[in-house]
Amino acid sequence: MLEMFEYDFMQRAFIAGIIIAVLASVSGTFVVLKRYSMISETLAHSALVGVAVALVAEFSPLWTAVVFAVLSAWLIEYLRSAFSLYSDAVLAILLSGSLAIAVIIVSLGGSFNNSLFSYLFGSILSVSSDDIIIIAIFGTISLAILLLFSKELYFIAYDEEVAKTSGIKVNRLNFLLASVVSIIIALSITIIGSLLIGALMVIPTVASLQYKVGFLKTMLLSLIFGLLSVTAGMIFSFYFSLPSGATIVLCVLFIFIISLIVNRKK
Amino acid sequence: MKFSVPIFDVKNLTFSIKGQTILSNISLEVFCSEYIAIIGPNGGGKTTLVRMLLGLETPTSGEIKIYGKKFSNFNEWHKIGYVPQRASLVDASFPATVLDIVKMGRTAKKQLFSFYGTEDEKAVYDAMSKMDILDLKEKMIGTLSGGQRQRVMIARALASKPDILILDEPNTGVDVASQKKFYTLLRKLNQEDKITIVFITHDIGVIADDIARLFTINQKAIICNNPKQLLSCEEMSELYGMDAHLLHLHKHRH
Ligand SMILES: Nc1ncnc2c1ncn2[C@@H]1O[C@H](COP(=O)(O)OP(=O)(O)O)[C@@H](O)[C@H]1O
Ligand SMILES: [Mg+2]
Repeated sequence: MLEMFEYDFMQRAFIAGIIIAVLASVSGTFVVLKRYSMISETLAHSALVGVAVALVAEFSPLWTAVVFAVLSAWLIEYLRSAFSLYSDAVLAILLSGSLAIAVIIVSLGGSFNNSLFSYLFGSILSVSSDDIIIIAIFGTISLAILLLFSKELYFIAYDEEVAKTSGIKVNRLNFLLASVVSIIIALSITIIGSLLIGALMVIPTVASLQYKVGFLKTMLLSLIFGLLSVTAGMIFSFYFSLPSGATIVLCVLFIFIISLIVNRKK
Repeated sequence: MKFSVPIFDVKNLTFSIKGQTILSNISLEVFCSEYIAIIGPNGGGKTTLVRMLLGLETPTSGEIKIYGKKFSNFNEWHKIGYVPQRASLVDASFPATVLDIVKMGRTAKKQLFSFYGTEDEKAVYDAMSKMDILDLKEKMIGTLSGGQRQRVMIARALASKPDILILDEPNTGVDVASQKKFYTLLRKLNQEDKITIVFITHDIGVIADDIARLFTINQKAIICNNPKQLLSCEEMSELYGMDAHLLHLHKHRH
């Protein structure tokens, strides 16, 4: 099994994968508890617009993905607060709008379909050494922010209004969480792919919720599930030449089903 | 006492939404260490009033001062403990132990980069022992009974060491025995710990002896400085229909 680490691309994929697993499962806990799971899908598609622009203009896809995802997160929060629109409707509109724009840009730009495919479903071949640096830097900052505000974010997820009346700056923190989540999603689309990152954010937490334990344990379980599925997924992806995102998602689904069965009628 | 700055000073408050006036021209003051009850028929605007006091709803007109300040200048929210209506109907799958929930009461007090310290632990412990839920500490909130959840929600509010507790019909879905204990507890919090209490309830007959003043709210507010007198008033019965009728029954039984 160690032979796979003889390849540079595989070492890079593993470092990136581990960082992403940590980020996705920790941020996913707050996203799921806020009942805001759909935001990850939408932001991932907005990140894809960034990738499309980068492929046509020959920029670094990771940077542009981060920029587009963050702008989209801000737009979502703005639309939600300024117009009294239903959140899920806002998310659905932006999701399909982003995908349409990304596809149009790519087809206008010529035949980039192959590389776009790897951003849709993830590829262990796609992580460059520059990407690792970007993932490490933004990943550390995002994780630090999440941990720093974890008590507040947890309170807000439990009861937004009571959190507000006890003096927590709910609007600012919602904005911050949306920004951090968008960065994490953009960082993830190289390995997981934009169509599948939502699964890695949401499913580990939903699986850990089946065990009916307190906040800290739930977050730890979801972290373990995220790490396990990313590691296993990348190994299978290497040996069977499968898209990494898809294999990772199958692994996390497997953990979810086991969790459901183990905790039946608990 | 009335010379001190009131905790809430409300003048000519009106709240309309979609062309409908929910509350009109309400003025009231809540003073330190008072025990006040708010009654009124369902849909009368009690919850709306309290939500405006807490800045969750913006009044159409009128003025609210909180500790003598406007909302924009007020930043001591930890002094106010709030238990919303239906707070005890929690989502059963939310991953929270009783301890997790009570600790939330300390969250807003924390500075950036600081962690729960001994002072927080003591406040959390005190709040839980006051509400008699220490033995439930590690239990998941979703597995508790209505009465137990009610006590957890109030312990969370108490953990921030508030000056004032605002309780919006917290007894919905709680059995009679737990309710009795609960009223005794509120009286103790008010008399021994000097916590101001604003209590929205239908059970006015039971607490009539404890409260200092009574607000009856049905679009307009009528303030009564002698709660017992109000309860025997026939006009109230007409104004509040069934609710007041029940009050009379309560009154006779006690
Ligand atoms: N944000 C709102 N939008 C629409 N109607 C509202 C809103 N807030 C309050 N109301 C209406 O105001 C009335 C008073 O409600 P409420 O304050 O909950 O009464 P109570 O707590 O006394 O039962 C109700 O008819 C309710 O539908
Ligand atoms: Mg109400």
